[in-house]
Amino acid sequence: MTSASTHTPWHRPPETVWRKTARFFGDILVPNLIKICVWAWVAFNLGLLLWVLMTSVKSTRDILLGPFALPSHIEWSNYATAWDTAGFGQATLTTLVFVFSSLVIVMGISVPAAYGLARRTDRAASALTAYFAMGLALPMQTVLIPYFVVNTSVGQFMIDWVTGAWDPRIGLVVFYSATATPWTVFVLTAFFRSLPASLEEAAQLDGASPWLTFRKIMLPVARGPVTTIAIITGIGAWNETLLVLFLVPDGAQRTLPAALLNMYYGLQYTSNWGALFAGVVLLVGPIVAVFLWLGRRVIEGATLGANK
Amino acid sequence: MSSAKRGLRAFIWPAVLVYTILFVVPAIYGAGVSLFDWNGLGTTAKFTGIDNYVFILTDDAFRQSFVNTIVLAVVGGVLVFLVAFCCMAVLRQMKGRGFIRSVVYLPNIISPIAIGAALSFGLDSRGALNQVLSWIGIPPQSWLGPDLVFRCIIAGLAWSAAGFYVILLMSAVDGIPEDLYEAASLEGVTKLQAFRMITFPLSWDVFATCAVLWVIGSLKVFEIVLAFTGSANSGVPLSARTVAIQQYMSFNDPSGLPRLGVVSAIGVVMFLLSLILVGLTRRLTRRETLEL
Repeated sequence: MTSASTHTPWHRPPETVWRKTARFFGDILVPNLIKICVWAWVAFNLGLLLWVLMTSVKSTRDILLGPFALPSHIEWSNYATAWDTAGFGQATLTTLVFVFSSLVIVMGISVPAAYGLARRTDRAASALTAYFAMGLALPMQTVLIPYFVVNTSVGQFMIDWVTGAWDPRIGLVVFYSATATPWTVFVLTAFFRSLPASLEEAAQLDGASPWLTFRKIMLPVARGPVTTIAIITGIGAWNETLLVLFLVPDGAQRTLPAALLNMYYGLQYTSNWGALFAGVVLLVGPIVAVFLWLGRRVIEGATLGANK
Repeated sequence: MSSAKRGLRAFIWPAVLVYTILFVVPAIYGAGVSLFDWNGLGTTAKFTGIDNYVFILTDDAFRQSFVNTIVLAVVGGVLVFLVAFCCMAVLRQMKGRGFIRSVVYLPNIISPIAIGAALSFGLDSRGALNQVLSWIGIPPQSWLGPDLVFRCIIAGLAWSAAGFYVILLMSAVDGIPEDLYEAASLEGVTKLQAFRMITFPLSWDVFATCAVLWVIGSLKVFEIVLAFTGSANSGVPLSARTVAIQQYMSFNDPSGLPRLGVVSAIGVVMFLLSLILVGLTRRLTRRETLEL
């Protein structure tokens, strides 16, 4: 191995036995072994997906008899049990409302902010960008108790004095949006910086307001990356569990991951493994569907955040 | 131009306000709560200074969770980046590389609760893994028992996270000009040496970012532990608790009176820990940037 780093450049080393062995290891054996492992990894992931899908339509008896055996019959009632008895129907609705309302808030405030930060070059703007970047290192665990206290007291206040009713999920949406904002602002600022300013200068010379320029010129150009970031943020909200467990005390009002966790905890009493796997499919299926449909975008978005 | 720049202020302030009032101020408030002995709304809070910190640092359960979290960050990190580097060495010229990247990345966007539920069924004492092991004559192991469960959690976490770092590092590898590899191969450099002399140094910056992301992420590991240990009657065993789990468990105190000050203090410790470890990681990975 060391022989290659010491030989003089532009001169191919002679084919000694040592070089032949090094060549065999470095060009054939090790790369091919790694390739086999990579394909095994891919096969495991795909196999696990198929296995979960298959298990979700097996009766619990079949599942316990043989984890790898094909189902003796298709047990659709697993899905009915998960959807009705385990509350996945309600949880799906809650999750959808949570994901979309958080997305509206997060994107509604971060896209304009990222554009504004990218286009202002003064010191205040760069200080603000650093201020948002600081939020990336702030774990949600630091704010859980304040969120819990505020959510409970606001709820109590609304019930006692204003509306007479309150849904803790409002707090969930608001607080989740706040914690998701730093990342979206940070990533989108880097994106808007990469766009040439000449794009909107012409519009400004024509007297268009900053808002009009933003809407008519920048948004169409930025549609791709903005959609990508929105998808990543949406997936994050879909999977959010910690905040739900702290802020929403009533199990029936919780989102899908919490519903699955609840069903999983109840397993020692119900032993309904079939319904549990149906629940896994209900939680994972939409994400896999989005990934099949927009996978390239999701991967682009994930790498966008780290390369800037 | 300057009036246009001023117009941009209205674009920025909503996000700044939301972030400040709903994230930064709560973090400061949380740090404040950590100095009080408080059981929640309707009870009086008593200022106790650093007593909560003294309490958690002398609490065996917290110390165990702290050690576990560090072990998870280090061991899991070694596993994840070992896998990612192996992939970097071969994935550049492999057939179906786009497909491979997608499939290995997928577990990363799947809820850890679902992953934990599915994997822990496979690891159950009568589950799939023990069945496979019995074919080759290995006696069944209690994978989800207190002795082994944390190792299974680390392995499961490394498996689901590795794909993310593979795609990040591969996006750096894709930016390396092909002619470098061609020149190297003309000189008789093997593929492994090309990885060591070209791929590795030229993707070092992205690796440094990845290491920071991993450290931040691994300190917050929470859901997957719940999902791996969920079927146990007595909650999460000590051997598998991370700091985030320990915080959640002290919030759900069996007495029904959570010590909010203690819970907050754990949150503050997590923030400090993430700052320290991120600083350390950045120091360890600092190199002079190579320019082509």
